[in-house]
Formats: sequence, C-alpha cells, structure tokens
Amino acid sequence: MRIQSLLAAAGLAFVLGSAAHADVRLQGGGATFPAPIYQRWVTEYQKAHPDVKIDYQAIGSGGGIKGITDKTFDWAGSDAPMSKKELQAAGGAEKIVEIPTVAGAVVLAYNLPGFNGELKLDGPILADIYLGQIKKWNDPRIAALNAGAALPDLAITTVHRTDGSGTNYIFTNYLSTQSETFKNKIGSGKQVEWPSGTGGPQNAGVTQIVQTTHGALGYVELAYALENKIPFATLKNRDGHFVKASAESVSMAGEGALNAMSHGLAVNIWDQHGEKAYPISSFTYIIVYKDLDYLKDQEKARALTDFLRWATSEGETLAPSLDYAPLSAGVQKKVASAINSLTWSGHPVATASR
Amino acid sequence: MSAVSGTLQSPMQSPSLPGDGGRLPQGGASIVQQGGAESRADMLFALLARGAAVFVLIMLGALVVVLVTAAMPSIRAFKIHFLTSSAWRPNEREVVKRDAQGNIVRDADGEEVTVTLPPEFGALPVIYGTVVSSIIALLVAVPLSIGAALFIVRIGPWIGVLLGPVSFLIEFLAAIPSIAYGIWGLFVLAPFLQDHLEPALNAIAGKVFFLRIFHTDQGLTGRDMLCAGLILAVMILPIITSLGRDVLRAVPRVQIEGSLALGATWWQSCQVMLRYGRTGLFGAIMLGLARAAGETMAVAMVIGNANRISSSLFAPAQTMSSLLANEFAEANSNIQRSALVEVALILLVMSLLFNVVARYLIVGRSARPAV
Repeated sequence: MRIQSLLAAAGLAFVLGSAAHADVRLQGGGATFPAPIYQRWVTEYQKAHPDVKIDYQAIGSGGGIKGITDKTFDWAGSDAPMSKKELQAAGGAEKIVEIPTVAGAVVLAYNLPGFNGELKLDGPILADIYLGQIKKWNDPRIAALNAGAALPDLAITTVHRTDGSGTNYIFTNYLSTQSETFKNKIGSGKQVEWPSGTGGPQNAGVTQIVQTTHGALGYVELAYALENKIPFATLKNRDGHFVKASAESVSMAGEGALNAMSHGLAVNIWDQHGEKAYPISSFTYIIVYKDLDYLKDQEKARALTDFLRWATSEGETLAPSLDYAPLSAGVQKKVASAINSLTWSGHPVATASR
Repeated sequence: MSAVSGTLQSPMQSPSLPGDGGRLPQGGASIVQQGGAESRADMLFALLARGAAVFVLIMLGALVVVLVTAAMPSIRAFKIHFLTSSAWRPNEREVVKRDAQGNIVRDADGEEVTVTLPPEFGALPVIYGTVVSSIIALLVAVPLSIGAALFIVRIGPWIGVLLGPVSFLIEFLAAIPSIAYGIWGLFVLAPFLQDHLEPALNAIAGKVFFLRIFHTDQGLTGRDMLCAGLILAVMILPIITSLGRDVLRAVPRVQIEGSLALGATWWQSCQVMLRYGRTGLFGAIMLGLARAAGETMAVAMVIGNANRISSSLFAPAQTMSSLLANEFAEANSNIQRSALVEVALILLVMSLLFNVVARYLIVGRSARPAV
C-alpha cells in the first residue's frame, strides 16, 4: 500500500514537473578531437539554459557522420567535411550544413637529444621525410633550413597514426599540396599506407613513441604536444614565413581561407597565405541538416540554433584555454549567417530568445 | 544418488583433456539404465549436457558463417591476391591516367585526366608478421618451458620447498592479463632493447651477412618484431610448461626405472622421458603457438604497427591480430571493414588448424596412461 502511494506521488510529481519545464534533449556525437570544448560549451550553456539537455558522445568522426545520416544524432561533430559519397547518402550537399566551430593544428613533434634550438622544416622536406627519402637528421636539405644548428647524424624515425583519424586526414592532405610525389604515391585520407616508419594508436600513442625514441618525428595535435611538453617544429608557410603553431596562428589560417567560403563553410585551411598563418591547420565541424524538421519538435530546433549561435560567438572565448584556435572575426560572421539560414519545415527557425 | 555419482567420478577425475568429453554421454546413458527411480533426472542432465555441447558447436558454426558473410565483399574484390599482396591502402588515391605507351592522357582543355584507384588490401605482411613473431616466441619459449617442465617433474620433488612456488608462479604467469604484459613490454622491454641490446647487436651484425636480421639502417625504436616475439615468448611460456609437465608426469615410471636399470645417467633417463612424451610435448608447443598467433593487445603495443615485410627483426611490423586491434574501430569504408574481417577469418582458420593438430597429438594418437 505504501509503495503504491509512493508511486502515485512520484507519477504526479513527474507530470507536474514536465508541465513546468518542457525539457529539451539534444543528442550529438562524433569526432573526439573537439569533444573537450563541446563538453565545456554544453556545461556553460546549460548554466544559462537549465531546461536544455545536450549530450555529446565522442565516438569518432565516422560515427558522427553515420549518426547524422541516419538521424540518430540531432547534431554531429566531424573533423573532416563530409565526402561526396557521404553527402549523397545524407540526401545531397544542399541538405547539409557544415559549421566550423574551432580550428586545430597538427604539429611535428620531435625527439633530438642534445638539440636545443628551434627546428625549422618546410612542406616538401616533410613530404620527403615521410616518403622515406630523407633518412638522416643531418641531411643537407634540413641543415640548409637550420643554418648554424648542430643536427645529429641520427636516423629519422617517422611516427604515424595507425587508426583512421582527422589528424591523418589533415596531415596527408597538407603533404599532398606540398609534394606531387607524395600525392601520387600515398595520397590523402583518414588512413593511408605509409612506406616507412613506425605507428602508434591515437595522439597518445604517437606522442609516447616520439618521447621515447631518439631521432623520432611524429605528427600530433597541438594540444597533445603542449600538454606533454614535447618540442615541435616551426613550419614554413605558403608565403615563406616560419610560423610556430599556436591558437593565434591557427586562427589566422582560418582568416586566410575566408575568401574561399563563398560556396560553403567546409573549406580547407591548410597551406594558407598570410604572414602569421600556420600551414597545417584545420577546422572541425558541427554537421546538421539545413532543414531542422527531422528534430520533430520546433522547440528542439530553436534550442539547437540558439546553442550553435552562442557556441560560435561567445563560446569561442573558451577555446584558447583548451588549446583550440577560436574562429576569427570574419569566419564568425559567415558562421552566424549560416546558422541564421537554418529552417524549420522551410521557414526560418524563429530567432526569438527563449 | 551417491552410488550414481560414485560411478560417474572415475572418468571425470582424470585430467580434463578434451578426449574425455566424448566418453561422458555414454557413461551417463549406462547409468540411466541402472538408476531406475532417478532415471528421469539423469536423462534431463544428459540432455542438458548434450545441449551445451551442441551449443558450443553452433556458436563456432555461426562464427564462421558470420565471418565469411562479412568478408565476402573483400573475398570477391581481391580473390587469392589477398594472400599474396602486401598493399594495405585504405584511402582512395587519385593518379594521373596514362595510355598504353605511358603518356599522360589529357582532356580537350589540356588538363591531365585522373583516375581514382579504389582502396586495396593484402594480408601478406600481417601473415608474415604473425608467423615470424610466433617463431621467435617459440625459439625462446620452448627450451625454457621444456626445461621448466623437466625441473618440476624430475628435480622439484626432491627439493620439495621449491616445487610449490615454481609451479604456482608458472601457472600464475598464465593468469596475468595480456595488457599487463603489453605495458611491461612498452615501458621496460622496448626501452631496454632500444638502448642496450639492439645498438650493440646492430653494430656487430651489420658486418656479417647471415646476421643481417639483427641489423637495420633505420632508427632503432625497440618497438619491433623482436620485442613482440620476446613478449609472446613470456606469454606462451606458462601454457607450454604446464601442459609439458602433465605430459612428462604421464610417462610411466617403468620407462624411467627401466632406463635407469640399464645404466642410464640422469640426463639419459630424461631423454627417454622426452622421447616417450614427444607427441604430447609437440602438442603443447602447438597450443602455445596458437596462443602466440592470436595474442592481440600486448603485441599491438610493442610491434611498431607497420604493414611491411622487412628482413630485419629490428624493423616495426604488424600481426593479424594487432592489425585488427589498430584498425577495426575506425575503419572508414565497408571494403576495409570487410578486408579486416577476412584477416580475422584467416586467423581463425590458422588457430583452428594449430589446435586440431595439437589436440590430435596430445590426446588422439597415443593411448594415455593414467597419471
């Protein structure tokens, strides 16, 4: 008897509760790289909007794209824009909106005992190192860039990611722009066939191998290199300037790609012009359908656009503290207009504040 | 019931090697005829036991069916080349199209025409990696474990204090999770190989032709075929030792006493033991081999993960199972997933063969004397 009355009370409370707040749930998932900043955004956003519950499952870019394609996710995160095939599967390029949220950089971490200077590299040399054609640290081509520095007579052990990843995608695409041979022999993708070197799983695995191997050179996300305090190389960018990766220099790469954004926001920002633009930079994206009626509930559509608008404006200020590069002012404007173009059954989602 | 269980116990008490499994149902059936009042319960039990046995078979069958179905796209696409090709390229690649003479094909505007090569997969490097790392493991583990088994059977009983701890520790080794071996390999063994053993060997072996396997022109990482082989050796040591011990214990006393009576020295009588138990020992080694071939996490952590065939043991490599561990979760196309499943299928067939041969050798051929 007591249990029954308890249940009844609980049921009543539930009914009353749901009448008071119509809780909105938004389920997202995908890329692991931006997960820390997304989770931070959700926490901050929910402080101001306690009736909106947002989830992000860090399951990998591929999983995110799959989730948004079959609409099990309300929004998805991906490090790489959707490919032609993936867009087709989702109903065509015009149905999908890919919104850059933050940018990241891939840096070349190295382990050179006794070398205390700042290692300088450029794209073509990097491509030849990863092709296995430059084998020693004291190769004349590397020495020419690092005049005055004493580079050791040590074999270069290249380290790569073994799992399919956005980092691979960015790095191989960058190297393909730098070397015709690399483009033809290896090409680009989330996972490629490396002709030499050793492999480690994920950023942590690559970092670990670089840290423990003399003469190692590996590519990891900027955040990992900073966190583990491994030295990483300064790279020569498209305009011939040597740039060290930082939140600022990555944002500048985004700004450099602004002109290319006339057709869509999913542009590549590696190898950009600009005095301070770091060459191996990339956006990470949130992917939604242009028409939000798949969310089934206009309240959800409103909450999602509001969250996206907040994240890509005020939320950007949180990015540098987590080692992400915020969107530059120019890109933020483009992103805001893209979010404003989202529709609900063909009509603009009401922008009235909640 | 007590009388019945007394009859049942005799076949069950002998070491539970799989050959005994076949005898149980017949034993059960004869009891049913004697039992009378309890016959229904016994029948139910026999039925359950048979059901369990059949269920295991169904599981294995289902596993094979699922693997073959999932591997079909890859089997169709690559056919037998899957076993002979060393390509493992998950990405599509655009190349400039060339005509029969090797000239670049251009379209009307003079632009180069490109063709997209689909992903391409071949399992040869991982099969090679599995075979070579297993061979290294066996070369190291077999002498050690046969020696340990001989110690336990022949020397241990005479110095009783040591026998308990040694037996216990060897069996304890088998219970350590493989990830723990992996971490040990990564943080202890690999750095040791990289900083001490490999540089020394590298300097000497480079000058001698037939020792080239201990030499590389690449940087030494310690995460290579040798490291994987050594980790595997440690991991298969307990299984070979404990099975080897059972085999040696099963050698009839008469054999040993006979040889001693004929004037054999201690070592000669050991030889007699080893010769008598050789098929069983070989079976134990095969089971160790099956474990080595299937071992995943520890190997993935120390082998260096490079899908290449290299003549040097100091070069990074890849085994079938480490490839699966590395790539399956983030495989980005259906054909890649399918190719990985085909690798799993090859691994399953290989392990199955090892096991079948091993069981046949340990159990099937020679009538086993009681322990």
